[in-house]
Amino acid sequence: MSKGSFTSALNMPDVPMGKLPDHLEVQRTRVVCKADAPIHTEGIQFSGAYAAVGVDNSNPLDKFKRDFKIDVIRLTKDEMEFDMIGIDAAIANAFRRILISEVPTMTIDKVFMVDNTSPIVDEVLAHRLGLIPLDADPRLFEYMSEHDVPNERNTIVYRLNVSCEKGSPRLTVKSDQLEWLPDGSKLHEVAPSYPGEQQKTYTSFSGSQLEVSRRALGVKHKDITIARLGPGQTIELEAHAVKGIGKVHAKWSPVATAWYRMLPEVILLKEIKGEEAKKLVKKCPVKVFDIEDLGNGEERAVVKSPRACTLCRECLRGESEEQIELRRVRDHFIFTIESASALPPEVLFKEAVEVLHEKCDRVISELS
Amino acid sequence: MDPQQPEPVVYLCGDCGAECPLKSGDVIQCRDCGYRILYKKRTRRIVQYEAR
Amino acid sequence: MEHGSLTDESSSTFSLIDEDHTLANSVRFVLNQDPRVSFCGYSIPHPSDNNVNIRVQTTGDSAKDVLKDALNDLAGRCKHVQVTFDKSVTGFKATQSTNEMKVDE
Repeated sequence: MSKGSFTSALNMPDVPMGKLPDHLEVQRTRVVCKADAPIHTEGIQFSGAYAAVGVDNSNPLDKFKRDFKIDVIRLTKDEMEFDMIGIDAAIANAFRRILISEVPTMTIDKVFMVDNTSPIVDEVLAHRLGLIPLDADPRLFEYMSEHDVPNERNTIVYRLNVSCEKGSPRLTVKSDQLEWLPDGSKLHEVAPSYPGEQQKTYTSFSGSQLEVSRRALGVKHKDITIARLGPGQTIELEAHAVKGIGKVHAKWSPVATAWYRMLPEVILLKEIKGEEAKKLVKKCPVKVFDIEDLGNGEERAVVKSPRACTLCRECLRGESEEQIELRRVRDHFIFTIESASALPPEVLFKEAVEVLHEKCDRVISELS
Repeated sequence: MDPQQPEPVVYLCGDCGAECPLKSGDVIQCRDCGYRILYKKRTRRIVQYEAR
Repeated sequence: MEHGSLTDESSSTFSLIDEDHTLANSVRFVLNQDPRVSFCGYSIPHPSDNNVNIRVQTTGDSAKDVLKDALNDLAGRCKHVQVTFDKSVTGFKATQSTNEMKVDE
């Protein structure tokens, strides 16, 4: 047999080269949600996975740069939703994980209790203070390591000094009663031996913190209840906030949560008409389907808003199971960020990307 | 501090909550209501907590 | 931070301290895109330890260089995500403010 007449077993005219057969293409780009469980949940990352059929599965940097897209859907002070298209779950998930646990914030970490006669015990009160979101930009501050002295660049000092007078009604202490001390701690490590004696306090500020922050540092929400005091009860304390990350303790997490879902895709495998179509529209709790009038008294079901689909799979129950396929697009992420810190969500996301970038740089420098 | 003049310690009445300074040798009794159970006040010594 | 055969540069295990799935899984994805890589994977030996082992085997090139290229690639992707995100956000804010102006009129 001469070389010219040799035919590869793969070189079949009915199998188009450079293109995956439809069922494999679906497997590669979609997660299919069957009635009992999803299938093909794990993506195929290996670039040469389809080399045998002449298909390149790689997503090199230049292709990524060409195809990657972000569409902002909603953006408010504390919340944003955007579509991130053309990225692998590994990297999208890295951003999500970093947002939750590695983007820094400023949070109360040490509480110096002078007096607390409220019904809330010291430990619980300290913990509650730690959970209050502060309105301080963490980018202006430095981390405080173990042997660092608290100064205006790594510590924010708040004072809470409230008491309920005897004979007055119960008093609710709110977060806005935390008073920012721009000159640092006013408590002495050792009681002064005579009134007015200059003594070492718990911080050593070299100047006003206003130089660092450029504005007053308060709390993000002014109406968080800290405690309720009965007549004659008092709370007097100082709270010191430092920079930290959510990995150490969730109180430093800058987000209420950050999550993504893959874009749902609803496919009608067969035409659904008449009574059946009406039934299908009724079945869906989030109104994914709609009825289209075909004119001659006939009606058929169409997919109107697949994005609303929660994949409850209610539509797959009963006889319509064979008629509908629910899928998710593997590289299309609907990302939502709920900020619970001083920074708006769009800044938090940029910080998160920066953190991943820094991680890369760190390992590169260690390798060289 | 003069040992002859002991500093009075302020107690709180267990019934009416009134403050009651007592020196050693004083009758343990609230001056307002006569209640005989008095409590010591919390110390003002600073206690440090981790807010975690 | 690196363990591997001293004679064979083409396969190494890299042990990264203070890293977890966040970096390891992302790097694994990028390594999988590289045709020089014949095998790559990562494991976290114990969930309480904060280190991760990344295994790289190549078809001949130095595993260290391949990993370094992968990290550079990932850093490049981050840069691009940042630029794209910035553009989209400024675009969205611009359309929102024009919409608000229309409402005001």
